[in-house]
Amino acid sequence: MLEHVELFFKSIFIDNMVFAVFLGMCSYLAVSKKVATAVGLGAAVIFVLAVTVPLNWLLDKYLLQDGALVWLGPEYAEYNLSFLSFILFIATIATMVQLVEIVVEKFSPSLYNSLGIFLPLIAVNCAILGGSLFMQAREIETLGLAFNYGVSSGIGWFLAILAIAAIREKIRYSNVPAPLRGLGITFIITGLMGIGFQSFGGMLTGGGEETEEATEQVNQVQQLEVVEPKEEIVEKKTEVDEKVISYNDVKK
Amino acid sequence: MSLKSKLHELKLKYQGKKMAPAFNAFHTFLFAPDETTHAGGTHVKAADDLKRTMNTVIMALIPVLIFSMFNAGYQHYSAINGFPTDFSLMNDFLTWDNFWIGIIKVLPLVVVSYGVGLIVEFIFAVIKGHEVEEGYLVTGMLVPLIVPIDTPLWMLAVAVIFGVVIGKEVFGGTGMNILNPALTIRAFLFFAYPTWMSGDKVWVHGARERSEEILAGANLDAISGETILGYLAQNKGAEMSYSVSDMFYGFIPGSVGETSAFLILLGGLFLIFTKIASWRIMVSAVIGSLVMGFIFNQVVDLGWVAESSKFYGLMSFEFWKHLIVGGLAFGIVYMATDPVTGSQTNKGKWYYGFFIGFISVMIRVFNPAYPEGVFLAILLMNVFAPTIDHYVVRGNIKRRMNRLKDATIYPKDSDGKAEELKAETV
Repeated sequence: MLEHVELFFKSIFIDNMVFAVFLGMCSYLAVSKKVATAVGLGAAVIFVLAVTVPLNWLLDKYLLQDGALVWLGPEYAEYNLSFLSFILFIATIATMVQLVEIVVEKFSPSLYNSLGIFLPLIAVNCAILGGSLFMQAREIETLGLAFNYGVSSGIGWFLAILAIAAIREKIRYSNVPAPLRGLGITFIITGLMGIGFQSFGGMLTGGGEETEEATEQVNQVQQLEVVEPKEEIVEKKTEVDEKVISYNDVKK
Repeated sequence: MSLKSKLHELKLKYQGKKMAPAFNAFHTFLFAPDETTHAGGTHVKAADDLKRTMNTVIMALIPVLIFSMFNAGYQHYSAINGFPTDFSLMNDFLTWDNFWIGIIKVLPLVVVSYGVGLIVEFIFAVIKGHEVEEGYLVTGMLVPLIVPIDTPLWMLAVAVIFGVVIGKEVFGGTGMNILNPALTIRAFLFFAYPTWMSGDKVWVHGARERSEEILAGANLDAISGETILGYLAQNKGAEMSYSVSDMFYGFIPGSVGETSAFLILLGGLFLIFTKIASWRIMVSAVIGSLVMGFIFNQVVDLGWVAESSKFYGLMSFEFWKHLIVGGLAFGIVYMATDPVTGSQTNKGKWYYGFFIGFISVMIRVFNPAYPEGVFLAILLMNVFAPTIDHYVVRGNIKRRMNRLKDATIYPKDSDGKAEELKAETV
């Protein structure tokens, strides 16, 4: 029970999909102009993550891991199909997104129209694939935990897009310098929001070994802890920036 | 020819030119403007313009600043010579020696913060061609009060430039920013130069120099300058030597101006009395921190946390003491109540304040790397304040629509009554 609570809290705040690892930025930046639309997309992402992560967990457990095929017979014990993870995970995700699209189109045509191209694009949203791959990399142990992980990462992404949509609605009439209008100021807002979310960085995990060590080392450890993610963030950000630009170019 | 008329002439000379905002700002800063509206048309006359609001906050901050200058020296000399055994306010605290340390350490921070920040403001005003805004007056006073005393001045200058440009000017200047600029500056310093911002060597003037001398081989006693929270976060067990009255009146190490809960309380009452700051945010933030602290105390009382746990030290800290140590009181009174970045709706202010207190104490306990995490909690709630407002406004609209629907669906006796209800609700 306690591990569920910890994983839930950790995935929402500490390892937030947007502010800790900067995943799923394309739709985060593009669909965050209005709160209502952002809520719709956020809910879709929660749903897709909640379904695909446990499904992919089953795939990983019984098909892809080293020796996972042993349930077919002892002669299969040596097979390791993990090189197929990407293809199979994406296949699951694409199927689920198709399902969501059909459901949304049937029950909420207005939301379907306002989400536009970004609904089918959830299939290639890196937050979704990232959820499955993190699940694999972190070796989440049970199906229940995998489901928990999917839901809570989705909620973390949902909170991020909700907050930035509200901020963008608030600053709609601000006198932002002309070169920064639109995407530029959104990137700056995202960075500043990331500072706010830093409050959870290292929570629960940080400081475990520090207590025994000398205080000078505490300083060093803190410096390492704090500085490293920053650099990572900057790198990731430029990466994402390029991605968005290339995506826009392709669209044009 | 007086300065006033000279400035006035310069102002007229540069009217409509690029440098006009700079001269206008000097003129209105030093003298009352002589332009008044003349007959014709209706005007709202209000005394509480932006400048008056800012000045009121600065007035509430002056006692804190003066206290912090004495405390800088008091902490410095106490760390070297040991704390006085029978403490008397006049002989041990309000001395010229103490004040001198304040003058050479605290005053430069204030000067650099104002100087650099106002230069950036002037540049932006001239480039963008609008009047210099008063927004930096309070930020410039808050910044030196929330940094450790030995912060190098160039660091402060870099952080101020970052905070004013990225935190405020890119959004269009005063009143448009989403994060509190003073806290953005503090967060920048914290993440860019962590060794200067936390640990046990930064809170008392001279502690860092002394430790470097000892490393170089000097035969001296180390100056220990930990904050109470930093000490508790390491869970060393034994009680700190500070009494509750020390904590309340502020004779403890910490960021320059955050120590005296007593003077901050007076400043807060002054701000509430002058209706500058929102009492809703202050009250709800106090409630939030007490609730979280109380929950942690209960967890300890129930025996769910072992004494060897790394969270034990701060979890077992009495819940009401959280308010008088560290930056919580300062943050609640001067930072959380920022009218621009906080919640704007009355109902939203309750949620906003409550979560600030709640998350501040949570960060203190659960995040041993950031025992001084109040500023991060406020930044986090700044991020979510627009969301809270959005839903409060939506909720209001929905309630009114429902009332309207009720009024139209069930016209009771006559149509007239329904019409009346409709008129009331819309």
